[in-house]
Amino acid sequence: MPASSESITLEGDLHARPAGALAVAAGRFAAAVSVTAGARTVDAKSVLGVMGLGATSGQQVTVSADGPDAEEAVSALIAILGDATRVGG
Amino acid sequence: MSQLAPQVGIVLVSHSARLAEGTADLASQVGGGTVTIVAAGGTDDGDLGTSAAKIGHALRRAEAGAGVVVVPDLGSAVLTVRALLGDMPDANVVLVDAPFVEGAVAATVTAAAGADLTSVAKAAEEAWHARKL
Repeated sequence: MPASSESITLEGDLHARPAGALAVAAGRFAAAVSVTAGARTVDAKSVLGVMGLGATSGQQVTVSADGPDAEEAVSALIAILGDATRVGG
Repeated sequence: MSQLAPQVGIVLVSHSARLAEGTADLASQVGGGTVTIVAAGGTDDGDLGTSAAKIGHALRRAEAGAGVVVVPDLGSAVLTVRALLGDMPDANVVLVDAPFVEGAVAATVTAAAGADLTSVAKAAEEAWHARKL
């Protein structure tokens, strides 16, 4: 199965609404998707897990996916992390 | 986003109308606003407690064809829900054992992603294991 991974530096803290947007988007993909911040990796489809990362502005976050639509999942989630943390929430 | 298939609905049963409504607001915001979340809090007189009539009404409003997950705030809300569901044998409803706020948020986000009833209920119950720190 194809695997994909990409990193982004957050422009704002990963608050509740961007975490929700991320998990909703992740849940629409068949691939297993994870988010890593610092030493912690969580299931991107778990909003509580994503919130529990406590990822803050300036921190590098990595999205990894494994499955048939892994590449699309990583692109979509990186875009959400870029937009949502810029707007705040 | 297109919503071709119906989403699972959520009913929040609390002893407090304000707690149910506030939690519904929060879950809706985090979930992006596409999921039907109905608050069923307080008694028919607006006091602290639960109301079978309010819960029954909420269940009907939340059902869009994919089933409904019910999140109770405290164990005693479970009694009212169970009694009501006993009279609704055909209802496609799952009563979950989950922390109220976290369960509501996790269920809503999972329903927003298009998951089925079993997956939405599982997401709510897995909220017990989510750490905040």
